[in-house]
Amino acid sequence: MNKSKVIKTSISVAIVILIWTIVSEMGIVSSYILPTPAKVLDSFIKMVKSGEIFEDIYISYIRVLKGFFISTLVAFALAMIRIILPKCSDYYEGILQFLKNVPPLSLISLLILWFGIGETTKIGIIVLTAFFPIYLNTVKGFVSCDKKLLEVGEVYGYSKVSSFFKIRLPYAISDILVGMRIGLGYSWRAIISAEMIAASAGLGHMILFAQQMSRTDKVIVGILVIGVVGYVTDRLFAWIIDKALRGSEKNGWD
Amino acid sequence: MDGIKVVNVSKVYTVEKEPVKVLNGINLNISANKITVILGRSGCGKTTLLRLVAGLENFEQGEILGTDVMRKAYVFQEDRLMPWLSVKKNITFGLKKEEIDEKRIQEIIEMVGLGAFENAYPSQLSGGMKQRASIARAFAYKPDFIMMDEPFSALDFFTREQMQKELLKIHNKTKCSILFVTHSIDEALILGDKIVILEKGLVKSEYEIERTTENRDLLDDQFLQLKKQIIDDLKVI
Repeated sequence: MNKSKVIKTSISVAIVILIWTIVSEMGIVSSYILPTPAKVLDSFIKMVKSGEIFEDIYISYIRVLKGFFISTLVAFALAMIRIILPKCSDYYEGILQFLKNVPPLSLISLLILWFGIGETTKIGIIVLTAFFPIYLNTVKGFVSCDKKLLEVGEVYGYSKVSSFFKIRLPYAISDILVGMRIGLGYSWRAIISAEMIAASAGLGHMILFAQQMSRTDKVIVGILVIGVVGYVTDRLFAWIIDKALRGSEKNGWD
Repeated sequence: MDGIKVVNVSKVYTVEKEPVKVLNGINLNISANKITVILGRSGCGKTTLLRLVAGLENFEQGEILGTDVMRKAYVFQEDRLMPWLSVKKNITFGLKKEEIDEKRIQEIIEMVGLGAFENAYPSQLSGGMKQRASIARAFAYKPDFIMMDEPFSALDFFTREQMQKELLKIHNKTKCSILFVTHSIDEALILGDKIVILEKGLVKSEYEIERTTENRDLLDDQFLQLKKQIIDDLKVI
């Protein structure tokens, strides 16, 4: 980020905090509905000192990573079958198209019945959420491979296998990474919702618990932390994409 | 090497359910170690003929003999570089790891004037530079048969002239066979050992030109006469 962008971002953030301070300090809304920034900061510091916030972040994060990892593997494997053996994909394509239109959270009651409120349910939700963006983008990356580049391989005597690794895969990689990035963002959203329904730890649970205790300040801390952690993860991923795609066209996903 | 024989080849494309005959029982000898130039208006089937010889497309009728034993390279009309590879990696794209001779590759990069850009990516190059990289890729492959589809049309006048000279030099040195497609009569006259005029999917006329000097003077009487004749051939539709 360049300097002017940092300044512009800080200005907008400062304005939001200023309005928030004015509204809450002047008592326009009750402090129960909207606690002051100072109070929120205070509870944040307390939560940092006691370490409970890190524990929640860690638990949610590990769930996301586990689910995301499984999801990537499955999505990639199924996408490969679809690319290499298109006829075999007919067996599962219909089911996938059906599942694509079912929001994973609507399955949570079934998942709880089957797997209880343990880790399996939450990771299952993440797998279902992250799967589609990764799968669809991977397929798109391979299917849309530029025929003209494949012809270059053909002219220089590339076998199907080497043409796959030297042309198709590098061509698809930007789409695959974009799919993974969207998938990661989706998983992060999904885990919070899943934890609000069935969990005894994690950021989602923390927010819901704080709400039940009428601790709106903690709720806001939770929301801010989710946003920041999500943002940092996304930036990190964007950075990796950028390194991996040297020379390729920009994809507008900054 | 015997060269390549195109015998009675026809190719039909289907455009909007209507069959369009692009090549109409064409016969052509592409002599070994020579530069054969195919000249014609756009849409006369030049590129199609090249693609058939390269084996990039199937055809309905006829035979193409002598291509399978050769090490072939193809310079496309567009640069077709891999956007994720650096210029140098693009140039060695056709070669296996053990075939890469650093010194030779460096010479080729210098020859096409990309010395300062070997680590750049295609998106950082101008159109002409990309085209030069793609020509370098074909030469680096050490082919004994190069097909070139209007390879210099994206280049400016001076680079074009220089590339034509380099092509002749390389041809002199390696004696590879070249099948060169162009729509520029001058280019055909500068390069060709044999000029084939293509019209409506058929060979309209063929001219053999003896190569006496390295650099042909197109203002010489012989070439002016030939140019007039070729223009006449192309005029009649």
